[in-house]
Amino acid sequence: MLACADVAKTYATERGPVEAVKGVDLTIDRGNFAAIIGRSGSGKSSLLAMVGGLSRPSRGSVSIDNTDIWRLSDNQLAQFRNRHMGFVFQFASLLPTLRIIDNVALPALLGRARVPADAYEAATQLLNQFGIGGYADAFPAEISAGEQRRAVIARALINNPVILLADEPTSDLDEETEREIMDHFHAINRSRGMTLVMVTHNLSLAEQADQVVHIAEGRLAA
Amino acid sequence: MASRSGFRFLLGSLALQNLGRRKPRTFLLLAAVAICSGAIFTGAVLMRSIETSMSVGFTRLGADMLIVPAGALTNITAALLTAEPTDLTLDDSIVGRLQHLKGVQKVAPQLIFRTDASGYSRGGDLIDLIAFDPDSDITVQPWLEQHLDRPIREGDVIVGGRREETLGSEMLIFGRPLTVYGKLAKTAVGSHERGLFITFATLAALRDPMRQICGMKAPLEPNKLSGVLLELAPGATTQQVRFAALANFPGIKVVSAESMLTSIRQGLGALLDGVLGLMIIMFVSTALMVSVMFSAIITERRRELGLLKAIGARRTQIIGMLLAEAGLATAIGGVLGCLLGIVLMRIYEHSLVYYLDRMGVPFVWLDGRVISIIAVVCVAFAALIGAAGALYPAWRASRSDPYDLIRAEI
Ligand SMILES: Nc1ncnc2c1ncn2[C@@H]1O[C@H](COP(=O)(O)OP(=O)(O)OP(=O)(O)O)[C@@H](O)[C@H]1O
Ligand SMILES: [Mg+2]
Repeated sequence: MLACADVAKTYATERGPVEAVKGVDLTIDRGNFAAIIGRSGSGKSSLLAMVGGLSRPSRGSVSIDNTDIWRLSDNQLAQFRNRHMGFVFQFASLLPTLRIIDNVALPALLGRARVPADAYEAATQLLNQFGIGGYADAFPAEISAGEQRRAVIARALINNPVILLADEPTSDLDEETEREIMDHFHAINRSRGMTLVMVTHNLSLAEQADQVVHIAEGRLAA
Repeated sequence: MASRSGFRFLLGSLALQNLGRRKPRTFLLLAAVAICSGAIFTGAVLMRSIETSMSVGFTRLGADMLIVPAGALTNITAALLTAEPTDLTLDDSIVGRLQHLKGVQKVAPQLIFRTDASGYSRGGDLIDLIAFDPDSDITVQPWLEQHLDRPIREGDVIVGGRREETLGSEMLIFGRPLTVYGKLAKTAVGSHERGLFITFATLAALRDPMRQICGMKAPLEPNKLSGVLLELAPGATTQQVRFAALANFPGIKVVSAESMLTSIRQGLGALLDGVLGLMIIMFVSTALMVSVMFSAIITERRRELGLLKAIGARRTQIIGMLLAEAGLATAIGGVLGCLLGIVLMRIYEHSLVYYLDRMGVPFVWLDGRVISIIAVVCVAFAALIGAAGALYPAWRASRSDPYDLIRAEI
């Protein structure tokens, strides 16, 4: 179970503090698919980053399966992200100088829970599953945006995370690819019982979710 | 192959590929580090060479002072090995009297006779015959590199380090056969390297034919010396002995190691201080430049670092990767610099040796082992510059939240 209690984020900028998230209480049950919607600038990405252990909240707490993640040490949190979380960012987030297969295997290699041979084996399986097995040795710049996105999803899944966080994962893709990716998400969500939290502008995508979280001006909206 | 490449390999290739991604910048970095470490390497090799040259040229020789006739010329490089060949002589009674002078430990008389009429011409017609006393000698036998398996005796000759006669061969000097008993190591002091060293007994046996051929020259008179080399007793100062000698023996000139060394050291000292100062300035400015450069490199790669953190890279891994990259780049620069230095030194070797010779320093290159140690230290220093320069930017980046790093580039 994922629980946020009064999480808030204030950014210090040159024009003064910007309160992006103003105290959000939220619970998402294990294995649920939650969609975060809201207007641009409402604080969705900021909230997702705090939930994912990527951005320290100004106040409040985030706990995942009873672990208060922002009380972990830096190294513990890094390990937690590595073992239990997967991320899909809105922009291209593959390391450009590594091959697709290396990119996908990287989290498994980083965690050192598996020997390299096993990591590459799992990466190959995932690539095949997502229909891009033929691009294993290609570099990110050599494949399309949709294919890159699938590689990112494969990377997010390689360590069997309990929670997958996706920030507008399909915003710049055609409808066909978008549907394919959403089908993958649903399949993973169902088959692995993994919690899925996804930020989206697309209301038709949000309709497919078990739970819709509506954010407006940094707060939960009814 | 792919399936066996581990995490370290991937981070390593990330570092390498990042260097390859920006070729002009990497080249600039390598060039700057190469110039800096090349200068430090060259400076260090030259400094050490000069130091060893000085110790070989002066300290190891044993003679602290040279006493010659008042009008005699003295070549300060050669002075502590031999006197110069002149017609001015000292009476050999001075030897016994010098022995009683307070502060004097050893008295080594020498007589030098330069001639082109010896009848022996291998290695040039002009030869220096240098007579010495094997029992009191302090500047000839210490340099013996090879010799026959017996003590030296009458009829033997020791050849200087640059002569080509072989051990045991015969040389006809003034019609008398002499046996090559030994050969000296190279000293870089000309008269010492080309000289023929004989005992006073051998000289006495040669005196008759020499007089017949050369006529009655001053150095050929009996009981004459060209100069006397002195070794001082421990604790004695050259000042004391110089005063005592000048007071007791009119018509002499005293050349001491100290005065020569101080004048040379002063000249060289200024040079070496300058080199050292320059090296420190170069080191600091290169470290600063590398630091500025890596600040930029790291800023440019914030998203990549943020992604690595997001998927679980620890702070130490991030810092380690960046330092390894920086250290690797500057170490390569260091290797290039050392190669550059070696090439430059080879090119300028002649003018350098000539310059130092004029300053009175016989130049002796360091041996290859010492040069490689200096090179290794230079490369290590270069790697250290890189790592030190990247440390602060890497540390700062590593402590940022992954989200801040990832957003920075958007
Ligand atoms: N690092 C930052 N520094 C300063 N202000 C920030 C930072 N990140 C976000 N903000 C501000 O916080 C507010 C919320 O930003 P956030 O990115 O969370 O919105 P969002 O809901 O994801 O918007 P979008 O739908 O356009 O992606 C915005 O006003 C934004 O300008
Ligand atoms: Mg956003």
